[in-house]
Amino acid sequence: MVDQTRPEDRWRHVRVLFLAFLGLWLLFTLFPLYFMIITALKTTAETNLTVPTFWPEIMAFGNFAAVFAEATNFDALVDSFVIATINTLLSLFLGTLAGYAFARFPRQAGGENLAFWILSNRMFPPVAILVPMFFLFDSTPWGTDSIWSLVILYLVFNLPLATWLMMVFFRDAPRELEEAAYLDGWTPLRAFMRITLPLVLPGMISVAMLCWIFAWNEYLFANLFVGTDVRTYTIVIPTFTHGSQTLWNLQMAFSLIAMIPPVTLFILLRRYMVRGLSLGVVKG
Amino acid sequence: MRQAIVRGDPSTYPDWFDGKRRQRPLIVARWVPIAMVGLPVAVLFAIVVYPTIWMFYHSLRDTNITGLFTGNHAYVGFANYGTVFSSDRFQDSLIHLLQYLSFGAVLQVILGGILALTLYEVVKSNLWRTIILILLVLPMMLPPSIVGVLWRFLLTPSNGAVNQALLDLGLISAHIEWFNAGVSLWSIIIADVWNWTALPLLIIYSGRVSLPPAVYEAARVDGASQWKVVRRITLPMLKEVIAIAFILRFTDAFKFVDLVYVMTSGGPAQTSELPTYIAFQRGIREFAIGEAAAYAIIIFAISAILVTLFLQYMKRVMRAQGLA
Repeated sequence: MVDQTRPEDRWRHVRVLFLAFLGLWLLFTLFPLYFMIITALKTTAETNLTVPTFWPEIMAFGNFAAVFAEATNFDALVDSFVIATINTLLSLFLGTLAGYAFARFPRQAGGENLAFWILSNRMFPPVAILVPMFFLFDSTPWGTDSIWSLVILYLVFNLPLATWLMMVFFRDAPRELEEAAYLDGWTPLRAFMRITLPLVLPGMISVAMLCWIFAWNEYLFANLFVGTDVRTYTIVIPTFTHGSQTLWNLQMAFSLIAMIPPVTLFILLRRYMVRGLSLGVVKG
Repeated sequence: MRQAIVRGDPSTYPDWFDGKRRQRPLIVARWVPIAMVGLPVAVLFAIVVYPTIWMFYHSLRDTNITGLFTGNHAYVGFANYGTVFSSDRFQDSLIHLLQYLSFGAVLQVILGGILALTLYEVVKSNLWRTIILILLVLPMMLPPSIVGVLWRFLLTPSNGAVNQALLDLGLISAHIEWFNAGVSLWSIIIADVWNWTALPLLIIYSGRVSLPPAVYEAARVDGASQWKVVRRITLPMLKEVIAIAFILRFTDAFKFVDLVYVMTSGGPAQTSELPTYIAFQRGIREFAIGEAAAYAIIIFAISAILVTLFLQYMKRVMRAQGLA
């Protein structure tokens, strides 16, 4: 007998299967976030019930205010913000200079292999770095527990990223415009500042956003290096307790507040961020 | 509107465009590109290369915390490496690492690829695609400490949400002990899959979006089935993008350690330790500097080989795209 089902019909079944998988995955992705939000709205008593509820009995919107009743929590967000911002500016400044040199004077700047070496620093596990840097910072007068130890350490992953991506973006910018400016007697510095930099500005913004999010979300270095004078919000969140009791509702409320900047940046700039996340290979 | 500058017509020259500037050399001095690249290279030498050499030096010595500060440590050859390789703790952690890598990198790329192509091929409305994509990528924007705390909370054995939901759905009849020996590593892997599958998903989806539509027009004219189109056109054309997604996930997974700290601290009884975690514990918490250094150098050597291979491949891909 001849198979009567046309290819399109068979495809329809497969399609439903894949769609169901996508739906299940969406559920798996959203359930933790949903539970996070409702927990942030529960009272402390309700978070400790033996049978957890999937909808808060009393909406405790006060949790969000209660997070900031403790002044140290707000300070932690400020510390994270200051560290991430200084580190981003530093990475972007150094990365833009080096990226431009790699894109425009590849031979004089050490060539492709040096660029790849810089990138490789981002891919190595930081395990060989942490212990010596810990004792190095420990021997300085300000110790490991200052914003500067983190500002410097975050360069380990953000500086290679910024350099590499700025190189990719400068290569995309047509060099003919600069050459035309040279012919008109502009100095290289002026051509760089007035022509090339505005051209790569979208790229620079996406690099800055990525660096900032990576620094804002960093946990490992912060956990090992700071904790008393300086506390980033990422190391404060796991220690949210009252006596021996974990305050899950405040913990989740604080987490939601801390998520706002990266999530907003992603929604606004996701097209540009794909380029950066894929190290320039995929044009978003 | 500003007057455009016309070469050879001094009346169009703006005021900064005077004779003096025109005589400046147009080519930058030799030291300029060297300095531009030299700054970040110097920084990376100070914070990456110097510490690595320091670690290598101490991996050959019997340094402990007092020895480090008094300068009292002796050369012991490769004894530290011997200690590490023969310890059960290290051997177990290697198995954990393999287990984690196969799910932390391989499975995530496969799942991300399936989800990305499903999203593109099956969901036809652009608005829905964007909404679903944003929702699926949300976990990636969370820091490891929130992910760890959230999953530790969800997986609490006695009154956690996951056990309760599974009970309500009738999928299990008794609470699963998520943080017992043998299970806790899987809990970390679940949290990591939740956190990072979005990266390959996002990259492969964007790669699919930017494929030229003309090829697909031709295939449709030829009457190829949608399955065949995916199999014969989309996947081969996305080969490089998928490989890059894999490389990114793999290198991240290789240095992964944050969730171990937040979720289990390597426990119970060291059953969820990864080599990187032990290196940190030995070095900074237990102050066995020499042994921690040996751990670090072993991990560094393995990843140096892998990263070199990955970058060779990336160089090829970028050459083909005209980017390098």
